[in-house]
Amino acid sequence: MASNEEGSIGTSMHGVTAREQVYSFSVDASSQTLQSDDPTAKFALPVDSEHRAKVFKPLSFAKPHMRAFHLGWISFFTCFISTFAAAPLVPIIRDNLDLTKTDVGNAGVASVSGAIFSRLAMGAVCDLLGARYGTAFSLMLTAPTVFSMSFATGPVGCLAVRFMIGFCLATFVSCQYWTSVMFNGKIIALVNGCAGGWGDMGGGVTQLLMPMVFQVIRLAGATPFMAWRIAFFIPGFLQVVVGVLVLTLGQDLPDGNLSTLQKNGQVSKDKFSKVFWFAVKNYRTWILFVLYGFSMGIELTINNVISGYFFDRFNLKLQTAGIVAASFGMANFFARPFGGYASDLAARLFGMRGRLWILWIFQTVGALFCIWLGRASSLPIAILAMMLFSVGTQAACGALFGVAPFVSRRSLGLISGLTGAGGNFGSGLTQLLFFSTSRFSTADGLSLMGAMAVLCTVPVAFIHFPQWGSMFLRPSSDGERSKEEYYYSSEWTEEEKRQGLHEGSIKFAENSRSERSRKVALADFPTPETGTPTHV
Amino acid sequence: MIQFSHGATKQRLFSDLEKGALDVTAKPSRQGVLDAGIDKLSITWKLSSTAKKQANFTTINVNLCYAPVSQVDRPWRRTENELFKDKTCPHKIITRAYNKSSQSFKYTLDRDILTGTYFVHTYAVDAKDYEVAFGQSTNEAKTTNLFSVQAISGRHKSLDIASVCFSVFSVLALLVFFVNGKRKAKLEQSK
Repeated sequence: MASNEEGSIGTSMHGVTAREQVYSFSVDASSQTLQSDDPTAKFALPVDSEHRAKVFKPLSFAKPHMRAFHLGWISFFTCFISTFAAAPLVPIIRDNLDLTKTDVGNAGVASVSGAIFSRLAMGAVCDLLGARYGTAFSLMLTAPTVFSMSFATGPVGCLAVRFMIGFCLATFVSCQYWTSVMFNGKIIALVNGCAGGWGDMGGGVTQLLMPMVFQVIRLAGATPFMAWRIAFFIPGFLQVVVGVLVLTLGQDLPDGNLSTLQKNGQVSKDKFSKVFWFAVKNYRTWILFVLYGFSMGIELTINNVISGYFFDRFNLKLQTAGIVAASFGMANFFARPFGGYASDLAARLFGMRGRLWILWIFQTVGALFCIWLGRASSLPIAILAMMLFSVGTQAACGALFGVAPFVSRRSLGLISGLTGAGGNFGSGLTQLLFFSTSRFSTADGLSLMGAMAVLCTVPVAFIHFPQWGSMFLRPSSDGERSKEEYYYSSEWTEEEKRQGLHEGSIKFAENSRSERSRKVALADFPTPETGTPTHV
Repeated sequence: MIQFSHGATKQRLFSDLEKGALDVTAKPSRQGVLDAGIDKLSITWKLSSTAKKQANFTTINVNLCYAPVSQVDRPWRRTENELFKDKTCPHKIITRAYNKSSQSFKYTLDRDILTGTYFVHTYAVDAKDYEVAFGQSTNEAKTTNLFSVQAISGRHKSLDIASVCFSVFSVLALLVFFVNGKRKAKLEQSK
């Protein structure tokens, strides 16, 4: 699939100007000692030209692809446990720290707000230092904040600690980034969906885990007001353990760790200002920011309020409310991967347009069920509405990350970061508007939040790719702009293109041809980019 | 799970009870904010001169209840007219058989009483365990004769120390790995 540009790999002119990007398999010492000439043979899974895996085997731990996947989602899972550890224990914490409803609401807002900034920073950290360090920083630098819950004595302390714990949600970005560099575009939505979904499950598991841990510590003899503080040591400890595992077992890129590859000249160091500018300039980034705010955003909000809602409105016991709340988060196990899978399937049939429609459908349906949840006054109906709501919204999250990797190649990390930050922003906003005051009952807050989500999902219709079209418009008919290479190389200046810095984007563009709809792909065989004659 | 009640009692309302049937006083053992688990209350109750339904009184339930200031912005402590939904009184102090003469009790505040402002409330209950009348140590607006309690904090020095130790370990471990990694990369480059 090599292009016929002058000097590109595979042509006889490759290497002559000495300014071409050197690819890893041509300098990697170990590949030269292999019997076969195929550098991809050293990988356990079949890979594409960027050495990203083309196949997803969830039960394998093979280096480096599947290992990165498992370390990524487990890190993210652990952080979710920590961030929402307080939620099922709120009835105990509000008694101990003498909190009002406003205090509880504000602490909930704080718990998701910190990550707005840390997710942005994480995007840059991954682009510059690699996913491994990004994940480890997030886990091991926020573990102290989890332990410091034992110091809280009032609403201010509680808010401050929850704010700081929330920073660790940046692992979402490093996890998605890690899988995006390890897996090929055709399966990326499914892989990202699994990683994201299984990580998000932490928000559900914590609703079961924390009341259980609390109960065990109480049985061991502690008073309730000490027991909940001790319970927080469990998520903190988990974070440290997983952080160490990431550092010892993980690898940044298919070919090695980032610092090694950079020093060998195999991966060029990019400038943060450029990466940032191209991410921010792209309007699609901001639409994704809003969309994710009303899929993941409302999911985070629900993680904070749903346990207390069932405890107070339906008079359930603490453990029972925890079980119901946990079912919401646990649905992520299959709902988010399902969303990713549906996105990949739609892309195979309808290209990028299919992905966008799937995203809109799932998110809107989920939001409608959220409205119903607020209206439900009997426990069985409320649980049914909640489950349908969870599947719709979580599938939307998975579908969104089927679109995100294609928005930019150069600023992939930062766009993941910005989108992720949008999720937290949406959560902070909805908690502030609907769940922090006595103006609305929690039930009304839920319905209003669902209504707002329906409205804020409409912007997906405005995402347009010149090479693939949008929900309602066809791809550009202009010969040049309708090529994937044009879109992805427009992120580089002419000067940078001359230096060959954009070669990675060109490879990505070729691999992304899969986003054309089936009809277009069959009718349009790859033709030479330049006007070279068809005879050879 | 969901509260069940015995038939007609589901509709038992606070407003149906006879007001001020008992004269109740609650005197704290000292001035200022009381400490849970340590300080005491001297509680006395007797039949009020205005009481009418005393023929039905079998048992007296004495409770500790939140004053309105401790209920503000805390819907889980709401006062409801339907008795089984009412959440104003979280603590039972004592239950005694009804006696015409004046009764008293010296109550040591329970260790698990929460920080807040309280008053003492008594329900007069009949043989079927239905509330018939009540009395309270404060006025109808619940603004007089209130007392404040400070709860235990739940913090402990050993917890604080463990917290600091684990935190330091986490940051140090990260630093060690990071520095090591950078050193290895430099070595690889110089090779």
